[in-house]
Amino acid sequence: MFTGFFRTIILYILIIAGVRLMGKRQVGELEPSELVLSLIIADLASVPMQDYGIPLLTGVVPILTLLSLTMILSVLTMKSVTFRALLCGRPSVVIQNGMVNQREMAKNRLTVDELLEELRIKGYTDISQIKYAILETNGQLSVLPYANQKPPAAREMKVKVEEGGLPRVVVSDGRLLEDNLKALGHDRPWLDRQLERRGCGGLSNVFLMLVDESDAVYFAKKE
Amino acid sequence: MKRLYIAAALLALLLGLSLVNGWYSERLTGEMREQLRQAQRLAEEEDWGRAEAVTRQVYEDWQNRHFYFHTTMRHSDTDQVLRGFRTVLEYVRLQEPDQYNAANADLITQLELLAEMEQPSVANVL
Repeated sequence: MFTGFFRTIILYILIIAGVRLMGKRQVGELEPSELVLSLIIADLASVPMQDYGIPLLTGVVPILTLLSLTMILSVLTMKSVTFRALLCGRPSVVIQNGMVNQREMAKNRLTVDELLEELRIKGYTDISQIKYAILETNGQLSVLPYANQKPPAAREMKVKVEEGGLPRVVVSDGRLLEDNLKALGHDRPWLDRQLERRGCGGLSNVFLMLVDESDAVYFAKKE
Repeated sequence: MKRLYIAAALLALLLGLSLVNGWYSERLTGEMREQLRQAQRLAEEEDWGRAEAVTRQVYEDWQNRHFYFHTTMRHSDTDQVLRGFRTVLEYVRLQEPDQYNAANADLITQLELLAEMEQPSVANVL
């Protein structure tokens, strides 16, 4: 038990350090400590599950140790900026004022192809349009174009647009979702009128009906 | 902060349990080893009846703690100790001094190794 307890702590710290050294691109959408937890925990659980010659405790003790460590690390990362930077790293500015920061790219083992691919995914083909591109600690690339490259907002064009609000599903595959209908402030007669207006006999003929806060209706009849 | 305290308490509990387990396994197997040595001394004095009774008592102690050993130690190790007990009991019944001495020494070593595996030491961790 003691050996398993300390080995878990040592290996957990070692793997986190390893993941941190691999760079942000390897991390994906998880923070290093979360990635390590998900990598190890499945293995730890599967060993006593498959091997009946090992006591269950040899899996349970390391799993509980890992969960406790992860919880401690998550609290410490919330409380301390320095610790957060040490554990998760800092965001890296890989493009600044339309210029590629090669040093930051090398530091994060980010190739030009990978950078261009990420930019294309975000809808940018020209690096000179970009004011900042930041490689976040979870491996995602945030792209901030120059102000004159941003699509204009309705406010900037001084155009009045109505706020639609969140559309709610009222009918899904012939089933009425009464809670959503009530939350929108409507009742069954209102729904029946809407269906009648769209030439639909009953709920069973509706595939999908969405209604937003301004009563705009999206309607799809069942084929 | 509550989460931090819970996690720290859980870690402390696990550490405490592992230390208690190390101490308990050493104490338990230490007593058994001592009794097996005593049985060997009796056998050397040709008191095979008492030697068998002492060995059987240790075997029963082992069987009574089967749940503890089975839940904390590798089953291959505990099975080996069980096989060792059966062998020693057979040799003591047959009053075969050479084979008994060898089998008993082997059983004592297995019990020692079993407890050593649970001891809080740098060598074990590494």
